[in-house]
Amino acid sequence: MPAANFPGPLMELIAALKLVQPGDEVEVWSTDQGSAKDIPERVSKVRHELVGVSQDTNHWSIVAREAK
Amino acid sequence: MSGNPLYILLCSGEHEKLQIAAMMASVGAVSERPVEVFVSMNAIFAFAKGSPTESRYRGGAFSQLLKDKHAPDAIALFRQGKQLGELKMWACSMALDVQGWETDRLEDGLFDGTLGLTRFLSDAEGGQLVTL
Repeated sequence: MPAANFPGPLMELIAALKLVQPGDEVEVWSTDQGSAKDIPERVSKVRHELVGVSQDTNHWSIVAREAK
Repeated sequence: MSGNPLYILLCSGEHEKLQIAAMMASVGAVSERPVEVFVSMNAIFAFAKGSPTESRYRGGAFSQLLKDKHAPDAIALFRQGKQLGELKMWACSMALDVQGWETDRLEDGLFDGTLGLTRFLSDAEGGQLVTL
């Protein structure tokens, strides 16, 4: 189920990235277009790697890789 | 590397301003930016322990939209910011005195203590100050 409006998906993504190993990828879904635009900006700011952003019929998928 | 510290002086009890303060604080904290929030005036009521959502979040048309769209809860966002980043929250000592509250009347696990406005403003000289 997609996360709530911004910054809910960003917070969930950052929380999940703290739990995984370097090189692992985390995917978060959002119905909020703002998250699809804003999360990539935030992810690069905190030195994670953005793997990709894609749009499905009813949500955006944002994938990031733990790089630290 | 930490970014320029963000200081949020939160005085309004309006839901919309509480929400944007919570968004700024939580996003700043997870962006590895030190954030400090000073809660005073009407804003202190929103942090009363155990308040029902309806009385905690009062505002205008956009407040209703936030509720209808199930936007993230402001108090929960502050909590997440503290868990995931460098976010400190201070309750205004004057506001507590005037209201006759001790810190045990505030939501658990959010506040790092009480602070006076003078000290907060002095600390904020080292960063960006936003007043809401």
